[in-house]
Amino acid sequence: MGQQLNMEQVFQKLGDLKSFFVFGQKVVPVIQKIIDFMRDVVPLLENVNNSIHDSTSKIPKAATQIKNVTNANEIATSEILDIVDSMSLDLTKIRTELADLKNGFFSQRVALEKFGSEFKNLNGKFDALKSGMSIDELENKVTSLESIIDKIGTDSTNITISLQVQDITAQQLASVNHLIQSVQKRLSSLLFDLGKQSGVSIPEFDIDEENRDKSFNEDARYDRGHGKQELVDNIINENKKTSQEEIDKLFAR
Amino acid sequence: MALKFLVVDDSVTMRRIVANSLKTIGYDAFVEAGDGREALSKLSGDGSINFIITDWNMPDVSGLDLVKSVRSNDKLCKIPILMVTTRGLKDDIVEALQAKVNNYIVKPFTPQILREKIDQILASA
Repeated sequence: MGQQLNMEQVFQKLGDLKSFFVFGQKVVPVIQKIIDFMRDVVPLLENVNNSIHDSTSKIPKAATQIKNVTNANEIATSEILDIVDSMSLDLTKIRTELADLKNGFFSQRVALEKFGSEFKNLNGKFDALKSGMSIDELENKVTSLESIIDKIGTDSTNITISLQVQDITAQQLASVNHLIQSVQKRLSSLLFDLGKQSGVSIPEFDIDEENRDKSFNEDARYDRGHGKQELVDNIINENKKTSQEEIDKLFAR
Repeated sequence: MALKFLVVDDSVTMRRIVANSLKTIGYDAFVEAGDGREALSKLSGDGSINFIITDWNMPDVSGLDLVKSVRSNDKLCKIPILMVTTRGLKDDIVEALQAKVNNYIVKPFTPQILREKIDQILASA
């Protein structure tokens, strides 16, 4: 009886062992897959690590390049402004010359009218003389030139307005630079932590104060529409109205 | 009264553009500063400055901080201040008004707008 019980226990254990082997047969390929996966992933992780390292080292160059673009834009804008200034000076000179010409025509006309009234019997030759001098025509040409010069003046003012885009893009670029520097700081901190865990010394990145963009408006937009200025004017008017109402209330007491 | 402007902006280009616009509308007297700190130094050294045109976003001392410093200074507090900035959000405008700027222009601006705002400030002074 006792022997039969022992045999049953042995068979039960053998059954358990069989189950274990069956389970093992199922599990071994999964473990093998995990090992294969780890074998594939480790170089991948090393690759990611190297990429982060590489990207982090390239970020300062990108930031410097953006700064160089801003500086180059500022220099080019300054050169354009020099030309616009020079044009404005030339236009002022031309305006003065044209005004002198107009005054000259006026004096000639007065002298001619005086001559005509003093010598009435020129048998129609006075009108021919007047027409030959073409004062009216010349005056019209000067007036036409003046309007062209006014247009050039307006155009140069418009160029100046458009050049404000330099300041606006400089602020946008500064905003991008700030973002890049923040990413670099995060990546550098990540590398620093990874380095600490693996016993490798990776210096933590610190943004150079001189290269840090301190002042910019990330919402800066080049928009020549009047919407924003109208919003400003409405708020200012509302503010004035409120202030005036407060004053009126004070006096009404 | 002859006006002498202090043009404050960290962008050389913008200082030139503001100065050119002032000339276009008939004002020739102005001095320049690259940030709020330099502006305060110029204001304390030059008593003839009687109008400030300032940007907002500048390093060290911003335009808003400049406005607050000027308004809290007994000698300077009455100088009119016109802010010329890229900041056009309602909260920004309200903040500037609370700091007591006299008027506000959003970039890009035209010489006509500059004249209009200067005239409005002078008329209400």
